[in-house]
Amino acid sequence: MAEIFDRLVIRLLLAGFVCLMIYLYRYAHVIFYPTVKRQVLKKIHPSENPADTLHLFSRVVGISIIFSSISFNETTGFFLSLFHFAVWGTIAIVLYLLSLYIIESIVFYNFDYTDEILKRKNMSYAIISFCHALVIAILSRTVMIEAENSIVILLVLWLYMLVIVGFSIKYYTFISKLSFNRLMIQKNMSLCFSYGGFTLGAGFVVASCFDQEHYDITVYCIQVLLKTILSLIIFPIFKKGLVKIFPIKMGDERTLEGHVESDMQSLGYGFFEGCVFISSAILTTMIVNRIQFGTIYPFF
Amino acid sequence: MYKFFLYSVLIIIYLGLAKTLSPSEIGVQYLQNEKGFSKLVKGPMTTVILVDTHATGFLIKTFYQKYRVILGYDNVEELIVRTSREFAKRNLPNIGLSVYRKFNEKEEFLPLPPGSIYINNSEFGDWKTNKKGEIKWKFKKSFKNFPRFLGWGKFRPDEKFYQDLKTSISLNQTFYGTQNEFGPNGTVTQKNFPHFFKGERKKKVELKTLLFEYFKENF
Repeated sequence: MAEIFDRLVIRLLLAGFVCLMIYLYRYAHVIFYPTVKRQVLKKIHPSENPADTLHLFSRVVGISIIFSSISFNETTGFFLSLFHFAVWGTIAIVLYLLSLYIIESIVFYNFDYTDEILKRKNMSYAIISFCHALVIAILSRTVMIEAENSIVILLVLWLYMLVIVGFSIKYYTFISKLSFNRLMIQKNMSLCFSYGGFTLGAGFVVASCFDQEHYDITVYCIQVLLKTILSLIIFPIFKKGLVKIFPIKMGDERTLEGHVESDMQSLGYGFFEGCVFISSAILTTMIVNRIQFGTIYPFF
Repeated sequence: MYKFFLYSVLIIIYLGLAKTLSPSEIGVQYLQNEKGFSKLVKGPMTTVILVDTHATGFLIKTFYQKYRVILGYDNVEELIVRTSREFAKRNLPNIGLSVYRKFNEKEEFLPLPPGSIYINNSEFGDWKTNKKGEIKWKFKKSFKNFPRFLGWGKFRPDEKFYQDLKTSISLNQTFYGTQNEFGPNGTVTQKNFPHFFKGERKKKVELKTLLFEYFKENF
């Protein structure tokens, strides 16, 4: 009984420690987003600005996803495992916020957080930001697991991951019919569903490319690169296939892009594109990762 | 058209990168035909025996072959290579035979029973009369493991075998032994290379049996 109670106490203490780390994250967030200082450091009023609430709490979801990759090893000692969590938690926070900063600088290079979220309460911007937060968190988590407590490998993989994500995000303009900048200014919701589906799909694909056994970092990076290129080859097949299987009747392209009278049509198209992107991406991960070709081992 | 061009470029990049960087491509050497042995196999008095052959792939087959390389004065090595379809098909009736020999910088490609270059070579052994009064080839003590390496088992060549071997070489004909002891139908080969002749590798499974086994295993 004493042992069971001791383990429960350890779990409670560790849960408290994780909360402390998230509290630390709250302040770290201000370093990368000085403009949110007022919102973060004071009480948050979700009803005043839902876009800002979503923007902020998407990062909390993200950091929680990343923290779930760090494990406590109580056998090494309680304080050492706390220290381990603190070190890797801090690294995770820094890398996560840095990744978000870089990716959002690429995607929202024409937009400003203060203008879009604080002044215009642009929900489209907030949802896209939410998707970024989720995707970067999933990828950072994968990279942290693959790094296996090696900071050097973590940095190499993190940079590698950022490059791949950067390129994959630019791929959106190539495959979508929606104009990103124009619809973002119009606060068009179709954009966020389409782009959200694309980002999440791309995140799943890249995460699946990174999720593989590794013994040598060079061979691992080559395998990731090959899988990424293979995904680029497979993805359009599913996208085209789904569009052919479920043909849609589109209106004039002008009406599609955010005119008030065609809002429902535009929203529907956003759903359609987002769902096609995400389904194609999930199917791509299956083709890239779930086919076992075997080896010549059983025969030789 | 532009997208099609980009897609084609992507496929070419993938194939190129996979070919040059993939560890599986780097790990296994390619053997176009028998002429390629000289690059892969070094050392004098060497014989290369085809031990096993296997094909992978669905539409485009990749052929692998496993060889036992006996370096006369040195050791025994295993060599797994990818080969061309034509060479793999041509080599199918040569299981258990020596398909390449090198001695005194001279190369031979005629499929012969394993160890034929060592027979009648006084450096490796002598002709000895056994208890039954038969004259058989016997390896010297330092090469006592050769019959096992060569896949002879209890078989020992006699003088008739050697004469028939010489005749086949002069006629440039594949030799499977006086009583066809070697090759895919040879008793000696079948006994000493059992892996290739395993029942499950040869048998053709009917669709009905296959489905029955599948449902039995999975449900």
